[in-house]
Amino acid sequence: MTSTIFFQQLINAISLGSLYGLVAIGYTMVYGILRLINFAHGDLLMFAAYVAIYMGALTVFPWYLSFPAAILATGILGILLDRAAYRPLRDAPRISLLISAIGASFLMQNLALVIIGGVPKAFPRPEVFDRVITLFDVRIQVLAIYTPIITIILLLGLLFIVYRTKVGKAMRAASKDFETTRLMGINVNAVIAMTFFLGSTLAAAGGLMWAMRFPQVNPFMGVFPGLKAFIAAVVGGIGNIVGAVIGGFILGLGEILIVAFVPQLAQYRDAFAFVILILVLLFRPTGIMGEPITDKS
Amino acid sequence: MTRDRVKLVLNILALLLLFSILYFFDRYGSPYHVRILNNMGIFITLAVSYNLVNGYCGVLHLGPNAFIAIGAYTSSLLTMSPLEKQMNFIIEPLMWPLSVLQAPFSLSLICGGVAAALFAFLISFPVFRVRGDYLAIVTLGFGEVVRVLCNASQSVTNGPLGLKGLTPHTNLWWSWGIAVLTLILVVRLVNSSYGRAMKAIRDNEPAAMAMGVNPFRHLLMAFLISAFFCGVGGGLLAHLITTISPTLFTFFLTFNLLIIVVVGGLGSTTGAVLGAILFAWGGEALRVVESPMNLGFMTLPGIPGMRMVLFSVILMLVIIFMRRGIMGHREFSWDWILDKLQRKEAELKKP
Amino acid sequence: MPAPFLSPERNMPMFLKIEKLVMQFGGLTAVDSFSLELQPGELVGLIGPNGAGKTTVFNMVTGTYKPSAGKIHWLDQDITGLPVHQITAKGLARTFQNVRLFAEMTVLENVMVSMHITLQASFWKAMLGLPHYRKEERRIRDEALEYLRELGLAHLADEKASSLAYGQQRRLEIARALATKPRLLLLDEPAAGMNPLETKDLAQLVREIRDKYGLTVLLIEHDMKFVMGLCERIKVLDHGITIAEGTPSEIQSNPHVIKAYLGEPKHA
Repeated sequence: MTSTIFFQQLINAISLGSLYGLVAIGYTMVYGILRLINFAHGDLLMFAAYVAIYMGALTVFPWYLSFPAAILATGILGILLDRAAYRPLRDAPRISLLISAIGASFLMQNLALVIIGGVPKAFPRPEVFDRVITLFDVRIQVLAIYTPIITIILLLGLLFIVYRTKVGKAMRAASKDFETTRLMGINVNAVIAMTFFLGSTLAAAGGLMWAMRFPQVNPFMGVFPGLKAFIAAVVGGIGNIVGAVIGGFILGLGEILIVAFVPQLAQYRDAFAFVILILVLLFRPTGIMGEPITDKS
Repeated sequence: MTRDRVKLVLNILALLLLFSILYFFDRYGSPYHVRILNNMGIFITLAVSYNLVNGYCGVLHLGPNAFIAIGAYTSSLLTMSPLEKQMNFIIEPLMWPLSVLQAPFSLSLICGGVAAALFAFLISFPVFRVRGDYLAIVTLGFGEVVRVLCNASQSVTNGPLGLKGLTPHTNLWWSWGIAVLTLILVVRLVNSSYGRAMKAIRDNEPAAMAMGVNPFRHLLMAFLISAFFCGVGGGLLAHLITTISPTLFTFFLTFNLLIIVVVGGLGSTTGAVLGAILFAWGGEALRVVESPMNLGFMTLPGIPGMRMVLFSVILMLVIIFMRRGIMGHREFSWDWILDKLQRKEAELKKP
Repeated sequence: MPAPFLSPERNMPMFLKIEKLVMQFGGLTAVDSFSLELQPGELVGLIGPNGAGKTTVFNMVTGTYKPSAGKIHWLDQDITGLPVHQITAKGLARTFQNVRLFAEMTVLENVMVSMHITLQASFWKAMLGLPHYRKEERRIRDEALEYLRELGLAHLADEKASSLAYGQQRRLEIARALATKPRLLLLDEPAAGMNPLETKDLAQLVREIRDKYGLTVLLIEHDMKFVMGLCERIKVLDHGITIAEGTPSEIQSNPHVIKAYLGEPKHA
């Protein structure tokens, strides 16, 4: 492999990894607070992409208006998801919560299928992201460079909210113990709603960049990015925001570089993430950055 | 007559009734009805064995699609003749010795079940190291891995092309015969001391361990038995629809089984049977919403995906508003009916 | 008061011997250098203020926690760090501080779960309903009923465990522990939530089962009257450290114990 191709693959891997990381943050935040794998999280990517497509097609909004609108709409959908599917089950056994999440995921996918149809739609890539630049003799699409930069900026913003604001403090308290949080006079449901909102907006940002990277939008486009992002969250140490992003990078790098070095494995690419998951759970269940999660019941 | 004698007679009568219904449909039923009945039988087998892990042991296992796939492929590869195999595997030939092996249908079903159980055994160590959501995602992962392998290993599964033209061995006698057999064996197991140990793990694992129950051993037992019957069910399914390919065994299949056991009531075999019957019947009945409808003056186009929307809504409504499903942990029993009757009788005798 | 139960093992060198157990959670030391030797037939109490590490000791002895350091010997075997179910099979049984019954099962079934380790017939015999299994099932049912009778719960055999009154649930916990056929019984706050009358009955019951089944009993309890009246020997923990050991009268006059309890008057 020549060094140029390697460099290209590396950039490619970093940008894919940062997408996984961005989506993984939502999983890790919700898991941290509800101890729930939010199965429907991946489908938020799909929702954001469709909203952006229709905003662009039906209104005169340029991308810098339609994208934020799509992100906001997805954040609100995240709150609604919690309200409808998870909040009625706060005191239910964990297994019920997970089944509800699976139901919500299938519902979103199939509603999209019913309303929009299964034919993939092309995602119009704004010109800003479409340019190609040459860096060290390597031609790179700017999107691949913007993606990790945007991810880092969003990550820093989120860390600011979580560690420097009152809302963030409430979120951290709630992820330790609901009872104490309640005693502190904090509305736990509001904190959970905020968590869903933040996680969902990040998923939406990830979804838009995903749709620009693979510009074919269909009702099931969120399934694999969702699963892999969840695995990234586990690899990084569930409950840990920075860990989620690091896990995303590891997964993205692993996936692309393994296929780059051993092309015969290309058809097994989708199984790779699960192999990683199983290895991590076997040998380091708390992930790279994780502390042991207390069993909240 | 003693209570046990009465129950034996009632059981025999129930079996005879089932036998005559099947006989009637076998002779006079339309292909449409026969297909629904076949589906019911197979779904009963699958749901009852799936419920053994999810309902009785209380762990959310999301990989039965892998067991069904392994059972379906194993049994199909065994019933196909060498010539059929040659005609199917056009891109890459089937590897030896699979290319020459052939077995009767009954033996192929057992092999399918054994292969699925072997796979379950292999994955059981990572699976049962974790619990809760993690166990769910690991089993889902193994389900995905099997699907990817089915797609990728051309020389065993024929890849995405799948296997076509299987002999339709599965008939009402097979599908319902296996369903009844599964039912008897699983009911006996869950009502035995082993079943109690599983329920104890479900209710409170630390306490079960403190009472001397080895969780791994019992979870493994349930997992292997469940995998065996899922594998057999997969073999039946393959020889009913006669064409299999990896797309048949996605997470979607698991989702259907999950709906069945949740609606029926996790932890109730009666519930799993009812759920399977409702699902097989309802799934067909709801087909109308996906096919074009002619109202005379206008034609409504069919809406693909509508059934799944309804199923997801049903799943969520049940889990949120009637968490225990139709049956909860209750079971159908003759005792219950006989007790009722006796009380009635006693009341009538009173002046 | 000498133990009325005298078994041949009375002279054996080692029954239960706990040597310098340490349990650390993160940086926190919950139990430090805990040692204890029990002789067969003894009735020993473990007391101390909340958070003293008493339940942590139970959890280490029964295998729930793996000790950070130290050894547990049981009948000349090192059982440190064995899985819980194996330790139970070796004859150590426990009850839980916060009752942990199998809520969805009947009272009788709860006890039958404990008899499962005595089952001789394999699972396929159960699935096929073979006579060997059925005989075993009858034996288990009869013996389980016997334990329920012993604890005065036989009339509730077919009730759901979660429907029992609190005191009955505690008794069921003891029945369930007895059914594993232990030689050492660990009771974690058996009198918690009981009224004085129930507590008195319980003390009587503990003595009875100790004599009838030849048990050794180690118990944690906050009710001082109960502990002082029942136990022959008492060990006091505070903040994970053993601060006193002796007969009830020795403990009652020990200045360290008085000091530890004055710090938390509600249990004094």
